[in-house]
Amino acid sequence: MSATNNLQYRRFYRTMPIGPMAVLTLLFFVPLLFTLSSAFITEEGFSLSHIFSVFSDPYTQKIMGFTLLQAAVSTLASLLLALPGAYLIATYSFKGKRFILALSAIPFVIPSILVVLGFVIFFGNNGFLNKILMDVFNLQEPPLKILYSFPAIILAHTFYNFPIIMNLVSSYWEHMDDTCESASWTLGANKIQTFFSITLPRLIPAIVSAASLVFLFCFNSFAIILVLGGGPQFTTMEVEIYRQARMMGDPSTAAALSLFSILVTSLLLIWYNTTQKKLARSETYRNARRNTEKRPASLAGRLLALLYTIFSTIFVLGPIISIVVRSFMAAPSRSAQEVFSLKWYRQLLALEQATGHMGSALGALTNSLLIGLTVALITVPFAVSLSVAIRRKQKGSSLLELVGMLPMTVSSVIIGLGYYLISSKLRGGMSLSYTLVVLAHLVIAIPFVLRTILPEYRKIPLSYMHSSLTLGAGPLRTFLMVEIPLLRGAMLTGGIFAFALSMGEFNATLTLANSSIVTLPIVMYRLIGSYNFQGACALGTILIAVCVIVFLVSEMAKGGTYGR
Amino acid sequence: MAVDGLSCSLKASYNDFNLDVSFSVRAGELACIIGPSGCGKSTSLQLIAGLLKLDAGSLILNGKDLTKVPVHERQIAMVFQDYALFPHMNVEQNIAYPLKIRRDPKANRKDRVARLLSLVALEGYQKRRSQELSGGERQRVALARALASQPQLLLLDEPLSALDAKLRKHLREEIRRIHEETGITTIYVTHDQEEALSIADRIIVMNEGKVMQQGKGEDIYNSPNNLFVASFMGEGTTLPYSIIPKTIVNPESTRPFVFKPQEGEHSIFFRPEQALVQDDVNLPLSEYLPHLKFKDAEVVSCEFQGTHFRLACLWEGHTIICHSNHRPKKSRVTLGVRMRNLQEFLNGQSTTKSNLSNFD
Repeated sequence: MSATNNLQYRRFYRTMPIGPMAVLTLLFFVPLLFTLSSAFITEEGFSLSHIFSVFSDPYTQKIMGFTLLQAAVSTLASLLLALPGAYLIATYSFKGKRFILALSAIPFVIPSILVVLGFVIFFGNNGFLNKILMDVFNLQEPPLKILYSFPAIILAHTFYNFPIIMNLVSSYWEHMDDTCESASWTLGANKIQTFFSITLPRLIPAIVSAASLVFLFCFNSFAIILVLGGGPQFTTMEVEIYRQARMMGDPSTAAALSLFSILVTSLLLIWYNTTQKKLARSETYRNARRNTEKRPASLAGRLLALLYTIFSTIFVLGPIISIVVRSFMAAPSRSAQEVFSLKWYRQLLALEQATGHMGSALGALTNSLLIGLTVALITVPFAVSLSVAIRRKQKGSSLLELVGMLPMTVSSVIIGLGYYLISSKLRGGMSLSYTLVVLAHLVIAIPFVLRTILPEYRKIPLSYMHSSLTLGAGPLRTFLMVEIPLLRGAMLTGGIFAFALSMGEFNATLTLANSSIVTLPIVMYRLIGSYNFQGACALGTILIAVCVIVFLVSEMAKGGTYGR
Repeated sequence: MAVDGLSCSLKASYNDFNLDVSFSVRAGELACIIGPSGCGKSTSLQLIAGLLKLDAGSLILNGKDLTKVPVHERQIAMVFQDYALFPHMNVEQNIAYPLKIRRDPKANRKDRVARLLSLVALEGYQKRRSQELSGGERQRVALARALASQPQLLLLDEPLSALDAKLRKHLREEIRRIHEETGITTIYVTHDQEEALSIADRIIVMNEGKVMQQGKGEDIYNSPNNLFVASFMGEGTTLPYSIIPKTIVNPESTRPFVFKPQEGEHSIFFRPEQALVQDDVNLPLSEYLPHLKFKDAEVVSCEFQGTHFRLACLWEGHTIICHSNHRPKKSRVTLGVRMRNLQEFLNGQSTTKSNLSNFD
């Protein structure tokens, strides 16, 4: 018996989604159609022969296998690192717990190009970790030589993803009531038996769900493989799509390959959704937290907690701090030691003659800021009207929601590929190229912004709208005076989120843009490629600042909801 | 048909639920719609407000047909169960909301808000945020906001259900007082029969999408149309009509009782306060009054309820509920009910020409 059957209101809410749907169709399906058509249509017309030849090629099969393998190994490594942390957080209260939890939010906001840079700066042969180890142990050679290898990929993925698992599993664990454990103890099971027969089975849905999310991220990983993999030996599907399209000049092979990627990603997303539903069903959440007030009892436990805190701090924060530190350092001459310097910032702001790719840094910064702002300003009203439509529509609302989330099923490299194929058909100048970049960013940002705004919109009780109507305000006025003000926090978070996403967007931009297009991550990539790490760090520091703002705003918005 | 007030006939169906009710409320009256949950009382309210669409029927308020008028033009205000105070506005902004919609001048608004706040006894609450208010205060603000729109009709959807018992009693007196001061025609939905009896000028009892009975509280309590209304509006005991010959005490002095059992489920009903308890042989009922006498009933339970004891007694396999001023001294007692206090039902419906109702 849902309300608002009144024709007049139905008309109002029915017209709301038309604009967004049309735009989304245009932005998402048209490029996808271009991609798919270039996979199926050859000179002889429609044919599957191209697809067959691509997928029967042993080289392609090897890449497919490697893509799945690296994702599986990365997920496993992340699990191994994350689960002890989840246990500590869910069970004990100790110094640094809140700190670790705050740290674990970082990977949700940090762009992958920063991960790459931080990894090189921190774990590289001349990185901070090697320097420290060489100083401490008096070594002549750097002890860790992991860059540009399989372990480098795994390590970077682990660094990027283990906090996600830790965060998701521990928050589920914390809210799981512990009476079942107590019951098991009273029935004669000891702590270890109880853990394996009661606690772990109850946790499995949460672990599976978090792990599938991480698997999906690793499967679609691009920047990390592109830079740290260091060549065709360690190539995944995403990198190969980019290589075929942009380096080998064979977009139809790239399009064929993207079929596989879309298929796997969609299956993973469907799987992830079912795990999420299972998760919601499997546990009756209790609001009262389990008793986490106790401190680790034994010395070993306390030591473990301490070690874990230190380790995860170094592991997560180390690379990021290294970027900031390194950006303020420069060698006065080729052989001299690096000292504090503002050289890279002066070059960035064009206060001093820039060298190499640093020349395009200022342009890239302004471009990124403008693109990010545009994307934020468009996605927010878009997501709001889509949310309204999804909630108000009785039939087909889940279809609408699915369409809104669809861009997630396609990796950003493939979205970039679609727009690249469009751009090769069109003739236009720089402004057209930048427009395409903005459109690609929009497609990528919309699902995320929708995911921020829709749950908040769903939380507004229908009675608010109803009482506004009974008090004499029409549907439009109710929308402007009640619904929009209540969504202010979510809209701000969503907007900032879209802005940060666009600022850090690398995959699609690199795939679609020609060399004259510069954004912050693209210039960072070029600087890394030409071994100007400090310059890249200066740009990276700006990106970090953006991420910090996003983080702070989203935390503030959490506290600022009206205590509903 | 009354020109003033509300008269409506509401027909709507949802999946497996059919609503078909018609009733009227006189201008200035406070009417209660009461019924068990799922009986369609909240749905009726939403149909009147215009939040749900009528399949058929009509809605006429003060002579104006509102059937096709959209919600915001109906001038029917509603206080929601969760109060629905806008959390991004303070008390003053909430109450001024309908005034702002109507584009009242700003100076007037302030004044009007102050007067409304004093009407609901919340002077000086203008700047409070709705999250800082207690449940009872929220309820009053919601009421003030609804009154601010100067509605032709005020709808209250279980306005007290979220509050604790003591506060409920106080606020229901307040609502009655405010209703008397403003004189706005009001419909009040509740599932609590005590609340309905104490507050309403007129009660409309609903069940399964139908109106079971409407009228004054005492009429509904004392002469219910059917067994549903009888048992919903208060406790009572239902016994088969066939027990009368066994239990009747009918002295010669009055006219003889004619025992006329009928086909179907023929039963009698009485309220617990009408059953008198005697733990000695004699009843407190004089032998010359015609009554039913239940001898040798076993006291199964005895609960102290403050003003009286509530007894459940087992008599020949039937449970009889009755009230007593003192705790019975014996485990076996005798119960008596006067003939005039008996209600007679055939297949759940009150028999209009009952020979019991005219008795003694």
